[in-house]
Amino acid sequence: MTDREARVAHEILRIARDELRLGDATPAPDAALAGALDSLQLLSLVVAVEDRFRIVLEDDDAAGTRTLADLARLVAARSDAALIPAQAPEPAR
Amino acid sequence: MTSTHPAILSVGRALPPNFVDQETLIAALSAYWGARHFNVERLADLHRAARVGGRHLALPLSEYPALDSFRKTNDAFIRVGSELGAAAVSEALARAGVTPREVDHLYFVTVTGVATPSLDAKLVNRLGISPSVKRTPIFGLGCMAGAAGLARASDALRAFPGEVAVLVSVELCSLTLQREDTSIANVIASGLFGDGAAAVVLQGGERAPAPDHAPRILATRSVFYPDTEWVMGWDVVDTGFKVVLSAKVPEVIQANVGGDVDRFLAANGLSRGDVRHFIAHTGGPKVLEAFRRALDLPEAALSRSFRSLQEVGNLSSASVLFVLGDLLDAGEARPGDVGLLAAMGPGFSAELVLLRW
Repeated sequence: MTDREARVAHEILRIARDELRLGDATPAPDAALAGALDSLQLLSLVVAVEDRFRIVLEDDDAAGTRTLADLARLVAARSDAALIPAQAPEPAR
Repeated sequence: MTSTHPAILSVGRALPPNFVDQETLIAALSAYWGARHFNVERLADLHRAARVGGRHLALPLSEYPALDSFRKTNDAFIRVGSELGAAAVSEALARAGVTPREVDHLYFVTVTGVATPSLDAKLVNRLGISPSVKRTPIFGLGCMAGAAGLARASDALRAFPGEVAVLVSVELCSLTLQREDTSIANVIASGLFGDGAAAVVLQGGERAPAPDHAPRILATRSVFYPDTEWVMGWDVVDTGFKVVLSAKVPEVIQANVGGDVDRFLAANGLSRGDVRHFIAHTGGPKVLEAFRRALDLPEAALSRSFRSLQEVGNLSSASVLFVLGDLLDAGEARPGDVGLLAAMGPGFSAELVLLRW
Protein backbone atom coordinates (compact mmCIF):
# COMPACT_ATOMS: atom_id res chain seq x y z
CA MET A 1 0.00 0.00 0.00
CA THR A 2 1.45 3.36 -1.00
CA ASP A 3 1.48 6.28 1.38
CA ARG A 4 -1.39 7.89 -0.55
CA GLU A 5 -3.43 4.68 -0.32
CA ALA A 6 -2.67 4.34 3.38
CA ARG A 7 -3.93 7.87 4.00
CA VAL A 8 -7.15 7.06 2.12
CA ALA A 9 -7.58 3.78 4.04
CA HIS A 10 -7.14 5.66 7.30
CA GLU A 11 -9.79 8.18 6.30
CA ILE A 12 -12.26 5.44 5.24
CA LEU A 13 -11.80 3.76 8.62
CA ARG A 14 -12.46 7.08 10.33
CA ILE A 15 -15.69 7.49 8.33
CA ALA A 16 -16.79 3.96 9.21
CA ARG A 17 -16.12 4.47 12.92
CA ASP A 18 -17.01 8.13 13.50
CA GLU A 19 -19.62 9.02 10.89
CA LEU A 20 -21.38 5.71 10.26
CA ARG A 21 -20.76 4.44 13.80
CA LEU A 22 -20.20 0.92 12.56
CA GLY A 23 -18.52 0.03 15.86
CA ASP A 24 -17.54 -3.60 16.02
CA ALA A 25 -18.62 -4.06 12.40
CA THR A 26 -15.85 -1.70 11.23
CA PRO A 27 -13.81 -3.98 8.98
CA ALA A 28 -10.07 -4.55 9.35
CA PRO A 29 -8.14 -3.38 6.23
CA ASP A 30 -7.65 -6.91 4.89
CA ALA A 31 -11.03 -8.37 5.90
CA ALA A 32 -13.69 -9.00 3.27
CA LEU A 33 -16.09 -6.03 3.33
CA ALA A 34 -19.08 -8.19 2.46
CA GLY A 35 -18.33 -10.45 5.42
CA ALA A 36 -17.94 -7.64 7.93
CA LEU A 37 -20.87 -5.44 6.83
CA ASP A 38 -24.47 -6.13 5.93
CA SER A 39 -25.85 -4.75 2.68
CA LEU A 40 -27.17 -1.52 4.21
CA GLN A 41 -23.89 -0.84 6.04
CA LEU A 42 -21.87 -1.56 2.92
CA LEU A 43 -24.04 0.74 0.84
CA SER A 44 -23.82 3.43 3.52
CA LEU A 45 -20.02 3.17 3.46
CA VAL A 46 -19.90 3.37 -0.33
CA VAL A 47 -22.14 6.47 -0.37
CA ALA A 48 -20.10 8.12 2.39
CA VAL A 49 -16.85 7.40 0.53
CA GLU A 50 -18.29 8.83 -2.69
CA ASP A 51 -19.32 11.97 -0.82
CA ARG A 52 -15.99 12.39 0.97
CA PHE A 53 -13.75 11.82 -2.05
CA ARG A 54 -16.13 13.22 -4.73
CA ILE A 55 -15.99 10.12 -6.90
CA VAL A 56 -18.53 7.74 -8.41
CA LEU A 57 -18.05 4.02 -7.76
CA GLU A 58 -19.54 1.91 -10.52
CA ASP A 59 -20.97 -1.59 -10.27
CA ASP A 60 -17.97 -2.87 -12.25
CA ASP A 61 -15.68 -1.59 -9.51
CA ALA A 62 -17.21 -3.97 -6.99
CA ALA A 63 -15.66 -7.02 -8.70
CA GLY A 64 -12.10 -5.94 -7.82
CA THR A 65 -12.95 -4.50 -4.42
CA ARG A 66 -12.99 -7.24 -1.83
CA THR A 67 -11.41 -5.52 1.13
CA LEU A 68 -11.13 -2.06 2.61
CA ALA A 69 -7.55 -1.94 1.33
CA ASP A 70 -8.86 -2.64 -2.21
CA LEU A 71 -11.38 0.16 -1.79
CA ALA A 72 -8.64 2.51 -0.59
CA ARG A 73 -6.51 1.70 -3.66
CA LEU A 74 -9.45 2.40 -5.96
CA VAL A 75 -10.30 5.67 -4.25
CA ALA A 76 -6.65 6.79 -4.16
CA ALA A 77 -6.39 6.24 -7.91
CA ARG A 78 -9.55 8.20 -8.70
CA SER A 79 -9.73 10.96 -6.17
CA ASP A 80 -8.37 14.45 -6.55
CA ALA A 81 -5.15 14.78 -4.52
CA ALA A 82 -6.55 17.80 -2.71
CA LEU A 83 -9.28 15.63 -1.14
CA ILE A 84 -6.87 13.12 0.38
CA PRO A 85 -5.73 13.88 3.93
CA ALA A 86 -2.15 15.15 3.97
CA GLN A 87 -1.38 13.84 7.43
CA ALA A 88 0.40 10.49 7.37
CA PRO A 89 -1.53 8.10 9.62
CA GLU A 90 -0.12 6.10 12.45
CA PRO A 91 1.06 2.70 11.26
CA ALA A 92 -1.89 0.39 10.64
CA ARG A 93 -2.66 -1.81 13.60
CA MET B 1 -73.07 -23.80 7.67
CA THR B 2 -73.08 -21.75 10.84
CA SER B 3 -69.80 -21.02 12.57
CA THR B 4 -68.90 -19.74 16.00
CA HIS B 5 -65.81 -18.06 14.59
CA PRO B 6 -65.77 -14.29 14.02
CA ALA B 7 -66.41 -13.34 10.38
CA ILE B 8 -64.85 -10.63 8.25
CA LEU B 9 -67.79 -8.88 6.60
CA SER B 10 -66.02 -6.23 4.54
CA VAL B 11 -62.93 -4.15 3.90
CA GLY B 12 -62.98 -0.42 3.09
CA ARG B 13 -60.00 1.41 1.65
CA ALA B 14 -59.19 5.09 1.22
CA LEU B 15 -56.25 6.72 -0.54
CA PRO B 16 -55.53 10.43 -0.58
CA PRO B 17 -56.07 12.02 -4.02
CA ASN B 18 -52.49 13.30 -4.44
CA PHE B 19 -50.92 10.52 -6.52
CA VAL B 20 -47.29 11.14 -7.45
CA ASP B 21 -45.31 8.73 -9.62
CA GLN B 22 -41.95 7.45 -8.41
CA GLU B 23 -39.81 9.42 -10.87
CA THR B 24 -41.46 12.70 -9.86
CA LEU B 25 -40.79 11.86 -6.21
CA ILE B 26 -37.19 10.99 -7.00
CA ALA B 27 -36.74 14.34 -8.73
CA ALA B 28 -38.26 16.20 -5.77
CA LEU B 29 -36.11 14.37 -3.19
CA SER B 30 -32.97 14.68 -5.31
CA ALA B 31 -33.15 18.42 -4.74
CA TYR B 32 -32.56 17.73 -1.03
CA TRP B 33 -30.10 14.89 -1.46
CA GLY B 34 -28.04 16.75 -4.05
CA ALA B 35 -26.83 19.18 -1.42
CA ARG B 36 -25.47 16.34 0.72
CA HIS B 37 -24.63 13.48 -1.61
CA PHE B 38 -22.15 13.50 -4.49
CA ASN B 39 -23.69 10.56 -6.38
CA VAL B 40 -27.41 11.30 -6.27
CA GLU B 41 -28.08 8.74 -8.99
CA ARG B 42 -27.19 5.96 -6.56
CA LEU B 43 -29.97 7.11 -4.22
CA ALA B 44 -32.40 7.37 -7.13
CA ASP B 45 -31.55 3.77 -8.05
CA LEU B 46 -32.45 2.71 -4.52
CA HIS B 47 -35.90 4.23 -5.00
CA ARG B 48 -36.32 2.45 -8.31
CA ALA B 49 -35.30 -0.85 -6.67
CA ALA B 50 -38.28 -0.55 -4.30
CA ARG B 51 -40.51 -1.61 -7.23
CA VAL B 52 -43.07 1.03 -6.32
CA GLY B 53 -44.75 2.86 -9.18
CA GLY B 54 -45.90 5.82 -7.12
CA ARG B 55 -47.55 6.92 -3.92
CA HIS B 56 -50.76 8.66 -2.90
CA LEU B 57 -49.54 11.45 -0.66
CA ALA B 58 -51.44 12.86 2.30
CA LEU B 59 -50.82 16.37 0.97
CA PRO B 60 -50.04 17.88 -2.44
CA LEU B 61 -46.31 17.57 -3.10
CA SER B 62 -45.94 21.37 -3.05
CA GLU B 63 -47.01 21.53 0.61
CA TYR B 64 -44.24 19.29 1.99
CA PRO B 65 -41.39 21.84 2.02
CA ALA B 66 -43.30 23.93 4.59
CA LEU B 67 -43.53 20.97 7.01
CA ASP B 68 -40.49 21.82 9.08
CA SER B 69 -41.59 20.69 12.54
CA PHE B 70 -43.18 17.70 14.24
CA ARG B 71 -46.12 19.90 15.23
CA LYS B 72 -46.87 20.73 11.60
CA THR B 73 -46.56 17.16 10.34
CA ASN B 74 -48.62 15.79 13.22
CA ASP B 75 -51.32 18.44 12.72
CA ALA B 76 -51.51 17.30 9.09
CA PHE B 77 -51.68 13.68 10.29
CA ILE B 78 -54.68 14.44 12.50
CA ARG B 79 -56.46 16.48 9.81
CA VAL B 80 -55.89 14.18 6.83
CA GLY B 81 -55.96 11.00 8.92
CA SER B 82 -59.43 11.82 10.25
CA GLU B 83 -60.71 12.31 6.69
CA LEU B 84 -59.16 9.12 5.36
CA GLY B 85 -60.08 7.04 8.38
CA ALA B 86 -63.69 8.20 8.16
CA ALA B 87 -63.79 7.39 4.45
CA ALA B 88 -62.39 3.89 4.99
CA VAL B 89 -64.76 3.09 7.88
CA SER B 90 -67.78 4.48 6.00
CA GLU B 91 -66.99 2.36 2.98
CA ALA B 92 -66.47 -0.77 5.07
CA LEU B 93 -69.71 -0.25 7.01
CA ALA B 94 -71.68 0.38 3.83
CA ARG B 95 -70.27 -2.77 2.22
CA ALA B 96 -71.14 -4.80 5.32
CA GLY B 97 -74.61 -3.35 5.66
CA VAL B 98 -73.81 -2.35 9.23
CA THR B 99 -74.74 1.05 10.67
CA PRO B 100 -72.37 3.13 12.84
CA ARG B 101 -74.73 2.67 15.80
CA GLU B 102 -74.19 -1.08 15.63
CA VAL B 103 -70.42 -0.87 16.19
CA ASP B 104 -69.54 -2.28 19.63
CA HIS B 105 -65.70 -2.28 19.38
CA LEU B 106 -63.44 0.14 17.53
CA TYR B 107 -59.75 -0.74 17.10
CA PHE B 108 -57.55 2.03 15.72
CA VAL B 109 -54.00 1.30 14.66
CA THR B 110 -51.28 3.63 13.44
CA VAL B 111 -47.59 4.30 13.84
CA THR B 112 -47.29 7.54 11.84
CA GLY B 113 -48.91 10.14 14.10
CA VAL B 114 -50.14 10.75 17.63
CA ALA B 115 -53.30 12.32 19.03
CA THR B 116 -55.12 12.43 22.33
CA PRO B 117 -57.97 11.79 22.18
CA SER B 118 -56.91 9.28 19.55
CA LEU B 119 -58.28 9.51 16.02
CA ASP B 120 -60.89 6.85 16.74
CA ALA B 121 -62.62 9.37 19.05
CA LYS B 122 -62.92 11.76 16.10
CA LEU B 123 -64.38 8.94 14.03
CA VAL B 124 -66.99 8.19 16.71
CA ASN B 125 -68.13 11.81 16.51
CA ARG B 126 -67.92 12.19 12.74
CA LEU B 127 -69.66 8.95 11.88
CA GLY B 128 -72.16 8.74 14.75
CA ILE B 129 -70.75 5.51 16.14
CA SER B 130 -72.50 4.15 19.23
CA PRO B 131 -71.59 6.05 22.43
CA SER B 132 -71.12 2.70 24.19
CA VAL B 133 -68.39 1.67 21.74
CA LYS B 134 -65.27 0.20 23.34
CA ARG B 135 -62.29 2.02 21.83
CA THR B 136 -58.82 0.49 21.63
CA PRO B 137 -56.16 2.68 20.02
CA ILE B 138 -52.91 0.82 19.32
CA PHE B 139 -49.67 2.66 18.55
CA GLY B 140 -46.28 1.11 17.88
CA LEU B 141 -46.87 -2.23 16.24
CA GLY B 142 -45.83 -0.70 12.92
CA CYS B 143 -46.44 -2.71 9.78
CA MET B 144 -47.74 -5.62 11.85
CA ALA B 145 -50.70 -3.70 13.30
CA GLY B 146 -53.17 -4.49 10.51
CA ALA B 147 -52.83 -8.20 11.17
CA ALA B 148 -52.56 -7.70 14.94
CA GLY B 149 -55.66 -5.47 14.95
CA LEU B 150 -57.66 -8.15 13.16
CA ALA B 151 -56.43 -10.69 15.71
CA ARG B 152 -57.30 -8.52 18.73
CA ALA B 153 -60.72 -7.68 17.28
CA SER B 154 -61.43 -11.36 16.73
CA ASP B 155 -60.32 -12.09 20.32
CA ALA B 156 -62.92 -9.58 21.55
CA LEU B 157 -65.62 -11.10 19.36
CA ARG B 158 -64.95 -14.54 20.81
CA ALA B 159 -65.72 -13.04 24.23
CA PHE B 160 -68.72 -11.12 22.86
CA PRO B 161 -69.97 -13.28 19.97
CA GLY B 162 -73.13 -11.22 19.41
CA GLU B 163 -71.22 -8.01 18.71
CA VAL B 164 -69.60 -6.05 15.88
CA ALA B 165 -66.01 -4.83 15.76
CA VAL B 166 -64.39 -2.37 13.37
CA LEU B 167 -60.66 -2.16 12.81
CA VAL B 168 -59.32 1.00 11.20
CA SER B 169 -55.74 1.60 10.17
CA VAL B 170 -54.50 5.07 9.20
CA GLU B 171 -50.92 5.43 8.03
CA LEU B 172 -49.54 8.66 6.57
CA CYS B 173 -45.94 7.61 6.16
CA SER B 174 -45.02 10.55 3.93
CA LEU B 175 -45.54 12.88 6.89
CA THR B 176 -42.80 11.11 8.83
CA LEU B 177 -40.13 11.67 6.20
CA GLN B 178 -37.03 13.25 7.71
CA ARG B 179 -35.67 15.24 4.78
CA GLU B 180 -32.44 16.11 6.55
CA ASP B 181 -31.72 12.46 7.32
CA THR B 182 -29.69 11.34 4.33
CA SER B 183 -28.92 7.92 5.80
CA ILE B 184 -29.43 4.99 3.47
CA ALA B 185 -32.17 3.60 5.75
CA ASN B 186 -34.14 6.82 5.34
CA VAL B 187 -33.53 6.95 1.59
CA ILE B 188 -34.91 3.40 1.29
CA ALA B 189 -37.90 4.21 3.50
CA SER B 190 -38.67 7.35 1.49
CA GLY B 191 -38.77 5.24 -1.66
CA LEU B 192 -41.01 2.55 -0.22
CA PHE B 193 -43.70 3.89 2.10
CA GLY B 194 -47.00 5.45 1.03
CA ASP B 195 -50.16 6.83 2.62
CA GLY B 196 -53.59 5.28 3.03
CA ALA B 197 -56.29 4.03 5.37
CA ALA B 198 -58.18 0.75 5.57
CA ALA B 199 -61.04 -0.50 7.70
CA VAL B 200 -62.47 -3.95 8.36
CA VAL B 201 -65.89 -4.82 9.76
CA LEU B 202 -66.07 -8.06 11.74
CA GLN B 203 -68.94 -9.73 13.54
CA GLY B 204 -69.08 -12.38 16.23
CA GLY B 205 -70.14 -15.93 15.43
CA GLU B 206 -73.52 -15.60 17.15
CA ARG B 207 -74.63 -12.25 15.76
CA ALA B 208 -76.30 -12.94 12.44
CA PRO B 209 -75.57 -15.46 9.70
CA ALA B 210 -72.55 -14.15 7.78
CA PRO B 211 -72.69 -14.39 3.99
CA ASP B 212 -70.92 -17.37 2.38
CA HIS B 213 -68.27 -15.11 0.84
CA ALA B 214 -67.22 -13.81 4.29
CA PRO B 215 -64.07 -15.48 5.64
CA ARG B 216 -64.01 -16.60 9.28
CA ILE B 217 -61.03 -16.07 11.54
CA LEU B 218 -60.29 -19.60 12.77
CA ALA B 219 -57.25 -18.78 14.88
CA THR B 220 -54.51 -16.21 15.37
CA ARG B 221 -50.92 -16.39 16.53
CA SER B 222 -48.41 -13.81 17.72
CA VAL B 223 -44.70 -14.57 17.53
CA PHE B 224 -42.15 -12.41 19.33
CA TYR B 225 -38.47 -12.67 18.40
CA PRO B 226 -36.41 -12.05 21.56
CA ASP B 227 -33.65 -9.42 21.51
CA THR B 228 -34.42 -8.01 18.05
CA GLU B 229 -35.64 -4.56 19.10
CA TRP B 230 -32.93 -3.00 16.92
CA VAL B 231 -34.27 -4.50 13.68
CA MET B 232 -36.81 -1.77 13.02
CA GLY B 233 -38.66 1.09 14.67
CA TRP B 234 -38.54 4.82 15.23
CA ASP B 235 -36.03 7.08 16.89
CA VAL B 236 -38.13 10.00 18.13
CA VAL B 237 -36.31 13.22 17.19
CA ASP B 238 -37.25 16.91 17.38
CA THR B 239 -38.77 16.77 13.89
CA GLY B 240 -40.77 13.60 14.47
CA PHE B 241 -40.14 9.95 13.75
CA LYS B 242 -36.81 8.91 12.27
CA VAL B 243 -36.79 5.46 10.77
CA VAL B 244 -34.72 2.60 12.17
CA LEU B 245 -34.38 -0.10 9.55
CA SER B 246 -31.88 -2.93 9.56
CA ALA B 247 -30.76 -4.90 6.56
CA LYS B 248 -31.47 -7.95 8.70
CA VAL B 249 -35.27 -7.70 8.29
CA PRO B 250 -35.45 -10.13 5.34
CA GLU B 251 -32.96 -12.41 7.11
CA VAL B 252 -35.03 -12.58 10.30
CA ILE B 253 -38.14 -13.30 8.24
CA GLN B 254 -36.53 -15.97 6.12
CA ALA B 255 -35.00 -17.66 9.16
CA ASN B 256 -38.22 -17.80 11.17
CA VAL B 257 -41.43 -17.55 9.20
CA GLY B 258 -41.39 -21.06 7.74
CA GLY B 259 -41.26 -22.75 11.13
CA ASP B 260 -43.66 -20.28 12.73
CA VAL B 261 -46.27 -20.80 10.02
CA ASP B 262 -45.86 -24.58 10.08
CA ARG B 263 -46.34 -24.74 13.84
CA PHE B 264 -49.37 -22.45 13.68
CA LEU B 265 -50.98 -24.46 10.90
CA ALA B 266 -50.19 -27.79 12.59
CA ALA B 267 -51.86 -26.55 15.79
CA ASN B 268 -54.97 -26.13 13.68
CA GLY B 269 -54.69 -29.48 11.93
CA LEU B 270 -53.38 -27.96 8.69
CA SER B 271 -50.18 -27.77 6.67
CA ARG B 272 -48.81 -25.34 4.05
CA GLY B 273 -50.36 -27.27 1.20
CA ASP B 274 -53.83 -26.62 2.63
CA VAL B 275 -53.43 -22.82 2.32
CA ARG B 276 -55.05 -21.53 -0.85
CA HIS B 277 -54.62 -17.76 -0.29
CA PHE B 278 -51.58 -15.99 1.17
CA ILE B 279 -52.25 -12.42 2.22
CA ALA B 280 -48.80 -11.03 2.99
CA HIS B 281 -47.80 -7.58 4.21
CA THR B 282 -46.18 -5.67 1.36
CA GLY B 283 -43.00 -4.87 3.28
CA GLY B 284 -40.91 -4.37 0.17
CA PRO B 285 -39.47 -6.54 -2.58
CA LYS B 286 -36.84 -8.11 -0.31
CA VAL B 287 -39.29 -8.72 2.52
CA LEU B 288 -41.84 -10.33 0.21
CA GLU B 289 -39.15 -12.43 -1.41
CA ALA B 290 -37.91 -13.57 2.03
CA PHE B 291 -41.48 -14.50 2.98
CA ARG B 292 -41.94 -16.39 -0.29
CA ARG B 293 -38.69 -18.33 0.15
CA ALA B 294 -39.36 -19.06 3.82
CA LEU B 295 -42.58 -20.78 2.80
CA ASP B 296 -41.24 -22.17 -0.46
CA LEU B 297 -44.09 -20.57 -2.41
CA PRO B 298 -44.32 -20.01 -6.16
CA GLU B 299 -44.08 -16.36 -7.21
CA ALA B 300 -47.74 -16.30 -8.18
CA ALA B 301 -48.76 -17.02 -4.57
CA LEU B 302 -47.82 -13.46 -3.57
CA SER B 303 -48.74 -11.69 -6.80
CA ARG B 304 -51.47 -9.67 -5.12
CA SER B 305 -49.02 -8.33 -2.53
CA PHE B 306 -46.42 -7.47 -5.18
CA ARG B 307 -49.10 -5.70 -7.23
CA SER B 308 -50.30 -3.67 -4.25
CA LEU B 309 -46.69 -2.67 -3.48
CA GLN B 310 -46.27 -1.52 -7.06
CA GLU B 311 -49.54 0.43 -7.07
CA VAL B 312 -49.47 2.24 -3.73
CA GLY B 313 -46.22 1.39 -1.92
CA ASN B 314 -45.89 -0.03 1.58
CA LEU B 315 -48.79 1.44 3.58
CA SER B 316 -47.44 0.07 6.86
CA SER B 317 -50.27 -1.50 8.87
CA ALA B 318 -52.88 -0.74 6.19
CA SER B 319 -51.02 -2.74 3.53
CA VAL B 320 -52.15 -6.21 4.50
CA LEU B 321 -55.74 -4.96 4.75
CA PHE B 322 -55.51 -3.52 1.23
CA VAL B 323 -54.34 -6.92 -0.03
CA LEU B 324 -57.17 -8.61 1.88
CA GLY B 325 -59.64 -6.18 0.31
CA ASP B 326 -58.25 -6.93 -3.16
CA LEU B 327 -58.69 -10.66 -2.56
CA LEU B 328 -62.28 -10.26 -1.33
CA ASP B 329 -63.14 -8.01 -4.29
CA ALA B 330 -61.71 -10.54 -6.74
CA GLY B 331 -64.20 -13.12 -5.43
CA GLU B 332 -61.65 -15.89 -5.99
CA ALA B 333 -62.04 -17.59 -2.64
CA ARG B 334 -64.50 -20.46 -2.53
CA PRO B 335 -66.32 -21.90 0.51
CA GLY B 336 -63.88 -24.13 2.36
CA ASP B 337 -60.76 -22.32 1.13
CA VAL B 338 -58.08 -21.65 3.74
CA GLY B 339 -56.17 -18.36 3.83
CA LEU B 340 -53.20 -17.14 5.84
CA LEU B 341 -52.82 -13.44 6.54
CA ALA B 342 -49.37 -12.47 7.82
CA ALA B 343 -47.47 -9.35 8.77
CA MET B 344 -44.27 -8.58 10.62
CA GLY B 345 -43.20 -5.47 12.41
CA PRO B 346 -41.21 -3.81 15.18
CA GLY B 347 -40.48 -6.00 18.16
CA PHE B 348 -39.37 -7.75 16.01
CA SER B 349 -42.47 -9.87 15.77
CA ALA B 350 -45.01 -11.50 13.51
CA GLU B 351 -48.77 -11.84 13.55
CA LEU B 352 -50.53 -14.68 11.75
CA VAL B 353 -54.26 -14.92 11.09
CA LEU B 354 -55.86 -18.12 9.81
CA LEU B 355 -58.94 -17.67 7.62
CA ARG B 356 -61.49 -20.07 6.22
CA TRP B 357 -64.18 -19.20 3.70
